[in-house]
Amino acid sequence: MTVSKAFWKIVLKNISTIIMYTVILVSFGTVSAQSNTSTVEFEAVEPSIVVFNHDGEEGITKNLVEYLDKNAEIKTGFSDDDKLKDALFYEEVVLVVDIPENYSKDYLAGKNPEISTRSSAGYQAELAKVMLRRYLSVAQSYSTLGLDASETTEKINAALESSAKVEVLSKVDSSKYAKASAYFSFANYAILACVITIICLIMSSFNRMEIRKRNLVSSVAISKMNRILLRNSCLYAFGVWLMYMIFGYFMAGGDVLFSNYGILFAVNSFIFCIVATTIAYLISQLVHGRNAVNGIMNVVALGSSFLCGAFVPLEFLPESVKFIAHALPSFYYIDSNYKIKALEGFSLGEMAPVLINMGIMLGFAILFVILASIIAKKKQRVA
Amino acid sequence: MFWTLIFPFILAILFNMAFARLHDFDVFEAFDVAVVDDENFCDLEIFKEAFKKLSEEGEEQLFVTQYVDSEKADQLLADEKVDGIVYIVDGEPHVKIKKNGTNQTVLTTAVEQIYQSSKIIEDIADTKINEAVSEMSPEQLMRGEMPDVEKIYKDTVATVSEAEPNVKDDSRVMNIVVIEFYTLIAMACMQGSMLSSEMMDRCLPNITSRGKRVAVAPTRKGIVIASNLLASYSMLLLSLIALIAFMRFVLGVEFGSNLGFIILLAAVGGLASTVMGMMLSIVLKTNNAAKNVIILTITMVGCLFAGMFGGNKGFFDNLNPIINKISPVGMITDGFYSLYYYADSARYFSNVYGLLIVAAIFMILSIRGLRRQRYDSI
Repeated sequence: MTVSKAFWKIVLKNISTIIMYTVILVSFGTVSAQSNTSTVEFEAVEPSIVVFNHDGEEGITKNLVEYLDKNAEIKTGFSDDDKLKDALFYEEVVLVVDIPENYSKDYLAGKNPEISTRSSAGYQAELAKVMLRRYLSVAQSYSTLGLDASETTEKINAALESSAKVEVLSKVDSSKYAKASAYFSFANYAILACVITIICLIMSSFNRMEIRKRNLVSSVAISKMNRILLRNSCLYAFGVWLMYMIFGYFMAGGDVLFSNYGILFAVNSFIFCIVATTIAYLISQLVHGRNAVNGIMNVVALGSSFLCGAFVPLEFLPESVKFIAHALPSFYYIDSNYKIKALEGFSLGEMAPVLINMGIMLGFAILFVILASIIAKKKQRVA
Repeated sequence: MFWTLIFPFILAILFNMAFARLHDFDVFEAFDVAVVDDENFCDLEIFKEAFKKLSEEGEEQLFVTQYVDSEKADQLLADEKVDGIVYIVDGEPHVKIKKNGTNQTVLTTAVEQIYQSSKIIEDIADTKINEAVSEMSPEQLMRGEMPDVEKIYKDTVATVSEAEPNVKDDSRVMNIVVIEFYTLIAMACMQGSMLSSEMMDRCLPNITSRGKRVAVAPTRKGIVIASNLLASYSMLLLSLIALIAFMRFVLGVEFGSNLGFIILLAAVGGLASTVMGMMLSIVLKTNNAAKNVIILTITMVGCLFAGMFGGNKGFFDNLNPIINKISPVGMITDGFYSLYYYADSARYFSNVYGLLIVAAIFMILSIRGLRRQRYDSI
């Protein structure tokens, strides 16, 4: 009882740390719910552009602006150039199109007038540039016919309407589960940070030499004390998981979380919480002191999150990084989140890659427990 | 102390590894597609030629194309050995993909462009043939003479394929990923708060026993505090310069060209952070661990708003433009960003002045807090 009491007293003392990482997780969830810059399925998303039209609302200029409006989201309110520069840098606006004065007139005169653009980096910008160039190429092709404005725009529109028929075999709308996948992948950081920081601090308090010596001569057997600590650590990790599930309900949507996909996301994150607890145990055997714990926690939590695709989609990670990431449990957790999102059914065969990842995570947990036990035994001899 | 100072270096290496490919369009790799090579496809010369050209090895290569029958194509797609199948039905192109993605979008866009070009060629060639016919005299028509259709068609193909839009690109190639590194420097600056807070705690009689000894020592308190702060600030500054040098010369992170401004910003950021740590240590009547949690919270939430964890600074600026203007992490990040992105230094200096004002406010609060501390006994 005394051990449990001490455990939860330290948890309560550090409640602000838990709140902080939860705030970061919730903020990220909110951002990913409202922002679409990180999506790789970019065709479904209209790129945000700004159009400065110095020509009149007539002829080919009018048609070009209408075409851009139909295929992109035209944003306004960027009279301040610094604001526009920032928007381009942060990819809130991916393309700025500057249509010069007399553009329509010069086009009809066969002059192939110049259009200035500024673009940001990223796929959305590339998509927007392709869209603009496609229109202008078609217009340029028709300029050779010497038609008037209305005939030309009619022909351009007809040509641009010709599209390829696309058949997508996957029946799953993975975008529906994309938010949940992003939320749970980011939770990799929050879970590791919350679990490692608190458990390491508690363990390092109990592992301090004078406390250890006092405990060794106390009436509570050291094995019993370790069992109580382990039980409470698991209970704490379960509490963290439950809290993130509740936030997940609001971030990812209730219907998603109560579906088969949601159950798999939940099981996956639960297993990862177990792994995080064992990592914390291992670290607590290696380092002591708050500063060291914070340093190690930041390296483990932030490092594995960056290397394993919690912040950057797995598709964008270099092959060498993905290869290294295979040595970290976070990779299997995040990879499972991506795989769950794309699942087409729930037969054993279809879920096999996810189940294998879960098995590997449990394997990591066992390995960390064994390593922690070996180190603890060695230390006990020293004490 | 070791971990506190070393972990920004480790994180910088990890950032560099994770973001290496993001926005790196030079490394576009041609991907596998299957084309159903039946009579429908063979009938469309323009598609045959376009796919041949786009599959030729070289810088312009977009696809690694396999010409197969329909069954084999389906099998390749099912086994994920190709990203998509292209087939023609009634002269119209169809694209079959397993799931959405970057390569799939590139394939669809390319097929659409080829199809549109074919339609335009057809349309322009028809118009030109009709024009040529209408320009012919009745005698020529009576003689059964026809315009040179092949030449018109070839000329049209040349016109359409050579149609080059006149687009001037004034973009400056910028890398949003640098923000991650700037937030990391800001985070490292904030380590100064932890150092100074710990140093300050050692001088406060109501916090540590060392503080009690300092309080009764004959040395002037101001000198003890100043020397402690100077020691932590010097250490922080050295580690910041080492971190920036490591990022710039080892990892190749861009900061702009003005080295003096870069060091000035790090020095001012470190100063604001050091003074903040001192102020928190004096104002908060609690132990060092609790103070560290508060500093960590200010740092991490500041980092989130400044763009760490995926570069969302723009989103947070729109959501609440004030936070990044008053948070030291936000100002340090914005200072480095303005050095990198803006030609003039007005925005850079507004951040430097902002940090100096914050440091001055914290210093005033600290001095007021210290002056009030008088003990008859403790």
